Amino acid sequence: MHSSLVRLQNAFGFFTTVAFVVAALIAATDLIAPRTPSVGVLKPTNVQVVRGRPHYYSSKKEEYAIIRFSLDADLSSLFTWNTKQLFVYVTAEWPAAKAGSGSGANATNQAVIWDSIITSPSADHLANLGPIAKKKLIRSAQGKSIDPSRGILSLKNQRPKYQITHPSGKIAQQDDVVLRLHYNVQPWVGLLTWNRDSDVGRWKTLRDNVSKKFSFPEVKKKE
Amino acid sequence: MAEQLLDQIRDVFEGQIDFEGQKLVELLINVALSVVGAIAFLVGYVLQDIKLAVYIGLIGTALVFVLVIPPWPFYNKNPVKWLPVGGGYQAPANLVFDGKTVR
Repeated sequence: MHSSLVRLQNAFGFFTTVAFVVAALIAATDLIAPRTPSVGVLKPTNVQVVRGRPHYYSSKKEEYAIIRFSLDADLSSLFTWNTKQLFVYVTAEWPAAKAGSGSGANATNQAVIWDSIITSPSADHLANLGPIAKKKLIRSAQGKSIDPSRGILSLKNQRPKYQITHPSGKIAQQDDVVLRLHYNVQPWVGLLTWNRDSDVGRWKTLRDNVSKKFSFPEVKKKE
Repeated sequence: MAEQLLDQIRDVFEGQIDFEGQKLVELLINVALSVVGAIAFLVGYVLQDIKLAVYIGLIGTALVFVLVIPPWPFYNKNPVKWLPVGGGYQAPANLVFDGKTVR
């Protein structure tokens, strides 16, 4: 500690220790923050199956399912001071064909049809938006360090972001399809956490996040 | 002239402090940085504002650096009293070391 350089090194060295401990404490506060997400409505509103090509020059034609859906969910309790952003996604799931396909038995097909990143006000500057939309987003939470109201989702007859198919290219008239809502909390420090099927401490499971079973229709005829 | 100037620059850059000052600096670094970390965490948690916590932590740390790194005068209040160069000190007449008298 006799010279300035040694004092700088010592002070910085201890600063890294303090920073690590504070970060660990911040990550630990997630565990005592209750999470009580709930789903009001999750249902397909309009399902179509069309034939199309995976890309412009492809000679292969596949069947694509376009699932419009409605969703009402309250994920506001997932927003705490350590939440950077919330990734919300809806998947369609259906059982794999049973016999003959080897690994197919008991397997489940799962494909994402819609997703969304909901930023916390502390991460608004990172949002992947144009300048005007970003300014609007930042202004929407002016003066607020967290904004749980962003976790309240209300989608009516939402168009899917992704049309889904199957490696076989066949998806029409598939039965027992369900929609499922998932979330992924991305904190500033700490572990990524997904929704779980059972309660973990003060984190309650996401109930009613699966829609009723429905079937894909026949391939839509060209008019 | 130039050598004197260089010596002065080196002294300022090295920023030496006395032993009591070093003890004080070590204590200050440990206590002040811990307090800054605790305040940053508690304020951030109570106000649920992580950006505020980061800013308190970084600004507080910068202030602690300013407090402990330069050789402030209060770190040099107990300078070591060296014996005068040559004279003033007389070796004892019969210095016995390892059973032999050393001259």
